[in-house]
Amino acid sequence: MSAAVAARPLAMLSDVHFSYPRPRGEPRPVLRGVDLALPAGDLVALLGANGSGKTTLLRLLSGALVPDAGEVRFDGRPLGEWRRDALARRVAVLPQQLDLPDGFRAAELVAMGRAPHARRLFASTVEDERAVERALVDADALDLAARYPHELSGGERQRVLVAMALAQEPDLLLLDEPTLHLDLAHQVALLSSIRRLQAQRRLTVVAVLHDLNLAAAFAPRVVVLHDGLVAADGNVADTLTPVLIERVFGVRMELARTADGGAHLVISSDR
Amino acid sequence: MSSRRRVPIFFSFFAVLTLLVAACASPGTSPALPGTVSPSAEAVTTYPATLTDDAGREVTLEAEPQRIVSLAPSNTEIACALDACDQLVGVPEYRKGYLPDVLAAIEDLPVVVSFGPVDREAIVAAEPDLILAAGNELTASTDIEALANLGYPVLVLYPESLDEVSADIELIGDALNAQAEAADVTGEMADTVAAVQATVAGLDRPRTFYEVSIFEGTIYTAGEDSFLASLVETAGGEPITGDLRTTAIALEDLVTADPEVIVLGDAAYDRTISADSVAKRPGWDEMTAVTEGRVIPLPEDILITRPGPRVVDGLEALARAIHPEAFD
Amino acid sequence: MRAAIASAEAQPLRIGLTLTRTVVVLGAAGVLLALLLVVAVAVGSAEVGIGDTAAILGRRLLALPIPETWAPTAEKIIFDIRLPRVLTAMLVGGGLAMAGTVFQVLLRNPLADPYVIGTAAGASFGAALGIVAPLVLPVLAIGAGTSWLGLGVVQLFAFAGGLGTVLLVYAVARSAGRVQVITLLLTGYAISSVLAAMVAMLMFISGNALRAIFGWLMGSLANAGWMALAFAAPLMIVAFILLLARWRRLNLLMLGDAQAASLGVDVEREKLVLTVLATLATSAAVAISGTIGFIGLVVPHLLRLVIGPDHRLLLPASLLVGAALLVVADLGARLLPGGGIPVGVVTALIGAPFFLWLLRRSQLLRVELSA
Repeated sequence: MSAAVAARPLAMLSDVHFSYPRPRGEPRPVLRGVDLALPAGDLVALLGANGSGKTTLLRLLSGALVPDAGEVRFDGRPLGEWRRDALARRVAVLPQQLDLPDGFRAAELVAMGRAPHARRLFASTVEDERAVERALVDADALDLAARYPHELSGGERQRVLVAMALAQEPDLLLLDEPTLHLDLAHQVALLSSIRRLQAQRRLTVVAVLHDLNLAAAFAPRVVVLHDGLVAADGNVADTLTPVLIERVFGVRMELARTADGGAHLVISSDR
Repeated sequence: MSSRRRVPIFFSFFAVLTLLVAACASPGTSPALPGTVSPSAEAVTTYPATLTDDAGREVTLEAEPQRIVSLAPSNTEIACALDACDQLVGVPEYRKGYLPDVLAAIEDLPVVVSFGPVDREAIVAAEPDLILAAGNELTASTDIEALANLGYPVLVLYPESLDEVSADIELIGDALNAQAEAADVTGEMADTVAAVQATVAGLDRPRTFYEVSIFEGTIYTAGEDSFLASLVETAGGEPITGDLRTTAIALEDLVTADPEVIVLGDAAYDRTISADSVAKRPGWDEMTAVTEGRVIPLPEDILITRPGPRVVDGLEALARAIHPEAFD
Repeated sequence: MRAAIASAEAQPLRIGLTLTRTVVVLGAAGVLLALLLVVAVAVGSAEVGIGDTAAILGRRLLALPIPETWAPTAEKIIFDIRLPRVLTAMLVGGGLAMAGTVFQVLLRNPLADPYVIGTAAGASFGAALGIVAPLVLPVLAIGAGTSWLGLGVVQLFAFAGGLGTVLLVYAVARSAGRVQVITLLLTGYAISSVLAAMVAMLMFISGNALRAIFGWLMGSLANAGWMALAFAAPLMIVAFILLLARWRRLNLLMLGDAQAASLGVDVEREKLVLTVLATLATSAAVAISGTIGFIGLVVPHLLRLVIGPDHRLLLPASLLVGAALLVVADLGARLLPGGGIPVGVVTALIGAPFFLWLLRRSQLLRVELSA
């Protein structure tokens, strides 16, 4: 369990079970009793092999899925008791893939992030406009504001989507493989800006990541899913051990240290 | 949810629609007998006069009509037969089958209906004080309702027998204060009918098939209990009838019925239809009428299907077609 | 735009629609519509001068103290025949375009029209039943009492048929609390086919009423009247207001169900509400005019290309432009030779080639943009 224990976690999963229904045969269990506490201000990298249930866990946290058994709570109340719009004011999701509808400028798309906060029927408020602007600045997307989706590169699209999630001014930000279509430089840039924002805005962030190196460099806390259960949860040094990595991913790995000795890196062993 | 559970919903939707039909029907509406003003030839209509038309509607005329719009050729003919040709201010576009004097009288009148819905603007512009419409959707019921809502007296005429044609002529006679003319016209009609009946009385009654039209292989004829069937009967034939609603008859039923006389009403409009073309139709060549050469084109169909004063001329032509020997 | 952003600290960033743009677009469409109203009311088979037309409209609609110098028949033609017809064209055109806008979002398909999930087939069946039933059951024959709230059996049946069929399609397509677009489309297609067969059967037994059914199926404004307007207008206005109030959710649904949900939209409920509102407008339109095609398909598609997809502007603009387009089409229908051909024929005749042109043009546009 994480060392940073707050009085009450912002979000919490208790003994959560989930399986997807299948047209034939038994449902395939994805999560088989997951416990997870997310104190406010945590920055968590969610790791695991393909099909280990990372995205499912994220969707359970956002309320898009409902657990078969167990409970998901947000701010002390079960998710089922939350109204969708009230939840959307507190939780934002950066989806794995999103087709942006053409015809809207980036700033208009980011402004859609303000929808859960809308007070006036037709106009936006001054707070809305300030929030959109701040989101564009924070996501490094201000220069993209007037562009249409077809005029954006993959990295630029991702920045606009981040800005959209930030415009929601959430307490909890859920990122589903935010680095998926980005090159290395953009991956690093995106994750470091999210870490910066997390500190600035006191966000709680859960990010599904594939790259263990990036996860190690990015997140103080790592949660590893394996076989429908939490296989490890803690800081990078305690969790990403060669034994665990071999058990979870089936790959042999070693630990190394960077020149400055600060960050832990996980390097695959080719021998 | 299983699909089985949804079936009743599906049907209950139609059940609701059916109930709506019933709910929308007025309780007192039934086809009333036409001509409730005195039938006597000596009578004079006093205005305002209230008449009941063939749709059971009560129509009030404030004064003797001076400007009449006719929405059907039969109504035009009735008006002219009652010497009211010069009071017509609007007529249908269709100009076939009229007597020359009627044709000349209506030649320059405004057209108020062609193939589509009636031209309501043209009718209003004609400033009518009486509109003569046709029933059974020949004049669309929506048009009848709209014209009535515009404040015009609309008489709907839809006779379904020779007697009802006469009754309608008397009804218009009452409306136009032309009872004497109406009595003359219906008297002459009765004479013609009586003459036809006398001629065919006692003769064999051949099984007669009246072909209204053939469209895409579907054969249309006189419907069961229809006006047309009763005309065939009066003309001395035994009508072979089609379905009550669709007036269609299946070819195999027609072959089974084996007509002795085939009357080609549609030959009046389509020159390619003749006794020869009928003989070439597959399945028709074995019918008695075809083998015995009693397939007769009837140009007078235009009179038979126009329920005005000349419908009896159509009856006489039909009787000649069925019993040529009796009229020689 | 960039210059504006550079000085963003001084004034807040302007996002999307400005008031000026809204006023210009809607104002232009509104003025066009008002002009068309006067022209369309002034033109017809009977001759009434444009001066008299304007004077009659001014006197009757605006209660201006204009002396009556025209013949009473002119007033009857303008006020009781043409004006309700032109207003019906506006109402129907606007309603169909508005509903089409909503259905194109709901079905995530720019080629969707307001009829696609069963409205047309259901309304056609209702109308055909309403036309044939009084002939089969003589007790329902025309005469006093067949109208209810001034509406014929036909209009009521068409309205109920359209609305009922869509609700039925929706209920059948729903599975585990969710409605998927493809299921909805296929269910709509299947149920429409059954209803189309029943319409064909009714047409076969309709006798002389065949022409009435046929005219209805082609779409016609010939039966426009104040009573029909009084029935359809409130439904349309309510639907419009409620739909416009949901412009944000319509925009969010364009992001996809999942993202709309994470932005606070109760997606399944919202889809049902939108379907019902759009179908209400469509059924009201169809009830008083028959099935008029292409307006609901072309207008939203065209406007999205020209003014963008923001429903705050797109919905009212569709309403105005759809209204204007159907007034023009009906003017064509009234003036073309043939004694008032159904307006649905005109919209298809003009609308289909126009749509093809649009399709080609937008493809070219896309190629240019991506090049």
